[in-house]
Amino acid sequence: MDALEGLEKLARKACEEPMPVFGVVEAVRLRIQSEIPESVTLIPLGLFGGLSALAASVTMALAVQFWSYMTSPVMELVAPLPEIRLW
Amino acid sequence: MTNTWCQCCPAEGTIELRGAILYNESVENTDWSDVAASVRGDDEAYGRLVRRYEKPITGLLWRFTRDPVQCEELVQQVFVEAYFSLKTYRGDAPLLHWLRKIATRTGYRFWREKAKDLQETSLPEFDILEEIEAVEEDRIDPAEAATVLHALLSRLPPDDRLVLTLMYFEECGTKEIAERVGWTRAKVKTQALRARRKMKEIAEREHLLEKLGWTL
Repeated sequence: MDALEGLEKLARKACEEPMPVFGVVEAVRLRIQSEIPESVTLIPLGLFGGLSALAASVTMALAVQFWSYMTSPVMELVAPLPEIRLW
Repeated sequence: MTNTWCQCCPAEGTIELRGAILYNESVENTDWSDVAASVRGDDEAYGRLVRRYEKPITGLLWRFTRDPVQCEELVQQVFVEAYFSLKTYRGDAPLLHWLRKIATRTGYRFWREKAKDLQETSLPEFDILEEIEAVEEDRIDPAEAATVLHALLSRLPPDDRLVLTLMYFEECGTKEIAERVGWTRAKVKTQALRARRKMKEIAEREHLLEKLGWTL
């Protein structure tokens, strides 16, 4: 008998081997639950974004208002005119 | 078995999941409904799938390790991986085929990781080959035959071992091996040829037939 024939005979016999039974349903369920990322609630993120947008809008509105008082913004930057009311 | 489906016009006998995944009649009805329910997050449905296919998957992974603890761990890994990939299952083949593909790749990864570890040359497996006793061909215990074969295969590199494991234990043809592993059929044929040659050398070096008393 050839070595390969012997191996094939072993393999045929090996296929009759009874398989172990584990019962993994519960373990699989637990592992899946532990691996599912917790869903991040978007409300605080949305609230923060909304407040930031509001603050940016107010700042922009004030900036535009102040800008209109300036005759030459570049010069104002270097030497602010004394006649402009600051408050 | 052709899966003729598209996302805009479901074919007859298809189920739509999350508006994108469709299953056709090639998949068992019970699997359909359980897969659909599992994708929607039904734990019980996935539990039923695990229970249904646990046995064949365990049988396959038992060929990758004969350590019950490691084998159970691999079975769990397969079902966890399958759960998170369930959305990509298109139903163009039975669910068991898809699970077997995942299991084969999981087992192969396990071997590759173990091959990196030098301690993988586990002494018990080498001892098994030393302890073979002569026995008549038809009277050899299947578990013993599997243990001897496993010990011999463990001396091959992972690629060779994978091809021969699927050929010997799972009785797969080159086409099925190629599908499961994701190689071309040509590569499988070449690999199988080389692996068989190496295996023959190992068996001869170990005087396997003499030890088994099968030389006549």
